[in-house]
Amino acid sequence: MANSSILVVGGGISGVTSAIEAAEMEVEVHLVESEATLGGRVSQLRYYFPKLCPPTCGLEINYKRIKANPYLKIYTLTEVTEISGAPGAYRVKLRKKPRYVNDNCTCCGECERVCQGERVSDYDFGLGKTKAIYLPSPMAFPPKYVLDKSALAPGDLDRIIAACIYEAIDPEMKEEEFELEVGAIIWATGWRPYDGTRLDNLGYGKFSNVVSNMQIERMASPWGPTKGEILRLSDGVVPSKVAFVQCAGSRDENHLPYCSYICCLASLKHSLYFAEKYPDTRCTMFYIDIRTPGRYEKFLLRAQREAKIDFIKGKVAKIEEDPETKDLIVTAEDTLSGKRINERFNMVVLALGMQPSMAGKSIPGLPVDEHGFVLETEGIIPVGCAKKPLDVMTSNETATGAVIKALQVIKRA
Amino acid sequence: MADNRLKIDGDLAAVQEIKSVGGDTLKKCYQCATCASVCPLAPDEAPFPRKQMLLAQWGAKEKLLSDPSIWLCHQCGDCTKYCPRNARPGDVLASLRILVTKELVPFKFLNTFYNNLWGLPILVLIAFVYILLVTIFAFKGMPNFFDATSFPYNPNLYYKLGFMKLPARVVMIDVVFLSLAGLVVILMVNAVSKMWKTYLDYYNVPQAYRYGVGTILANYLIPALKEILDHSRFEKCGANSWRATPHKMLLFGFIILFITTGTVFILADFLGMHTPWNPLTHPVKWLGYIGGLLLLYGVIGLMTGRNRAVLENSLKTSYSDSFLLWLILLVGVTGFAIVVFRSIPSLYNLTGLVYLIHLITVFLLFLAIPYSKFSHLVFRTTAVVFDLYYRDVLKKMGS
Repeated sequence: MANSSILVVGGGISGVTSAIEAAEMEVEVHLVESEATLGGRVSQLRYYFPKLCPPTCGLEINYKRIKANPYLKIYTLTEVTEISGAPGAYRVKLRKKPRYVNDNCTCCGECERVCQGERVSDYDFGLGKTKAIYLPSPMAFPPKYVLDKSALAPGDLDRIIAACIYEAIDPEMKEEEFELEVGAIIWATGWRPYDGTRLDNLGYGKFSNVVSNMQIERMASPWGPTKGEILRLSDGVVPSKVAFVQCAGSRDENHLPYCSYICCLASLKHSLYFAEKYPDTRCTMFYIDIRTPGRYEKFLLRAQREAKIDFIKGKVAKIEEDPETKDLIVTAEDTLSGKRINERFNMVVLALGMQPSMAGKSIPGLPVDEHGFVLETEGIIPVGCAKKPLDVMTSNETATGAVIKALQVIKRA
Repeated sequence: MADNRLKIDGDLAAVQEIKSVGGDTLKKCYQCATCASVCPLAPDEAPFPRKQMLLAQWGAKEKLLSDPSIWLCHQCGDCTKYCPRNARPGDVLASLRILVTKELVPFKFLNTFYNNLWGLPILVLIAFVYILLVTIFAFKGMPNFFDATSFPYNPNLYYKLGFMKLPARVVMIDVVFLSLAGLVVILMVNAVSKMWKTYLDYYNVPQAYRYGVGTILANYLIPALKEILDHSRFEKCGANSWRATPHKMLLFGFIILFITTGTVFILADFLGMHTPWNPLTHPVKWLGYIGGLLLLYGVIGLMTGRNRAVLENSLKTSYSDSFLLWLILLVGVTGFAIVVFRSIPSLYNLTGLVYLIHLITVFLLFLAIPYSKFSHLVFRTTAVVFDLYYRDVLKKMGS
């Protein structure tokens, strides 16, 4: 009954790393991703830690390895619905959503040009729109379009089909359910930003110039909705005073009771984005504690040296909008002076915490803790931010480590 | 640099005490200052309660004593609702007020009795024994509490005091409550003057601006009272804004009952118009009823609202809170019960017993002013007066 293949769930940087590391050991690997492309959160970033590389840097080399490897099979738009069995012999049920685009797609883009229907891009956190048929990411892998049928305008389907000379559009595709038998499972479903609208005192979703840290990443990305410009959503102007609100959701028993590990560094990184593009913009970081785990303390020193950033020790718990200018009045106690300040900013960036993707979900056979972090068992090994909040570097360390564990499970079974 | 060194001595006993009177979550605070930022009442120059949480964690009694902030807090609960650690700053400040009350008023054991359930029977006993002794003295021997014509409405026992002719009942009440009121006034005047002095020192108010009592009262007490009657601070509360209205009604109830009592005192003791009066036709009775109804409406509103707030996690009801609420409720209920018992012939002879219980509850309520959460009546008023005064001083110093 023992099965010697490995299932990797989640195609972000951790899952891709685990999958390719295992496949290069000549083990059969199934890599499952719920979105239409691999790449996960890293692909949405402008730069990632520790060396501030653009995401192309880390992802492309892995995609190249994947292309060259015969042992790795990728399933996009696919989710695990149930796990049964035991280490060495798991039976996993999966559900694959239809892409409505088959393997003939060459990414020529003709369909996109003729399509009129549009949809809000969740990849850009609502900052931009795509056509109903779209490339899920500039670095989409597998490089294939995907169709959102619900966004089609009347007549779109006929136009798209006519435009595609490769006969890649297949509107008849159906949702499929299937099963896999595997020996070990590496769980790499990552995280999502905490829902900022639940922080009812910070105005996210209510005030147009209160944005999230991940929205900053999308704006700063040269392939993002603003082509790399970080602008106020109210008027498209570059902000000259920006506030970073740390622990927006993290370290808070009403929201996420744990530290999300990377948000302090992410905000410091954003101060460098501003310094790089807009040298006149001043940033202020409101914090409880500036947390720079391990060797990242150097990064704080770098931001202090290179960015125009001030620090105020005191959590922001009230934000109001000036209805005329759409500026924001940020209230916090400066605990070092003991005075409460109400300062005006052009833009507020909430350092929204990391919530594991499994939060609020339950998959039979998958053990999770009360926050949605996946718990390790002998044959199911969580990695990256599905396990705990981490940076890319450490996520990859857990990802490679998990491969050894998975191989051990297979060998022993 | 040695002179600038700050020496911190943690006072563990004080910390334990804060924890025991409802501040048990105190140590969870990690000083993020969410509370001071969401507080609708804290002034920008001296925000609270973050700093007070830190002082409380070290048991810094002296510093807390000299800080009006803990009284400017109305326990709205916004801080508690938004606290990321569930450290409940609003509830901790309530316990700090009890601690400070204890520090300011002598006979601390009474404070302990008032703020612990086990102290309740002792308090009842004290009130009962005192009232009983005075009763025996005034009624010239032990009256029969199961015969209303023996107690309290003995028609034969009168005292002549100059032109005044006082029934035994009135003499008993005057002796009990005038002595008690005298004690409470002395204790509170003493405590307030101590409190005021520490505030002046804490804020380094220059000698030139340290006015006499008369000036302070004349210039700042009236606006403070206006503000308190208005509940203008209370109404700024976010999380527990529902409390302002019942609390206001309760305060009005107390004021009306105070006026009623004063009127009865003058009419009965000095003008010889002795009670019992006709419960349906006498105007002073009706004034009392209105006061009593407002009091009951207010206290029941506060109780039900509190239960809702507890569910919303913005407020906790500690023993000190429920004690005061139930005591006020009992004062109101027994007050009305006297009228009912007296008016129904079959219950008439139990009136004496109900009367006695009512007196005990009123006695405990009077004594609650220096020793329980009820002290806020005086201390919060003082802090509001100081707040108005200090802001005025700052303005004058600035100009």
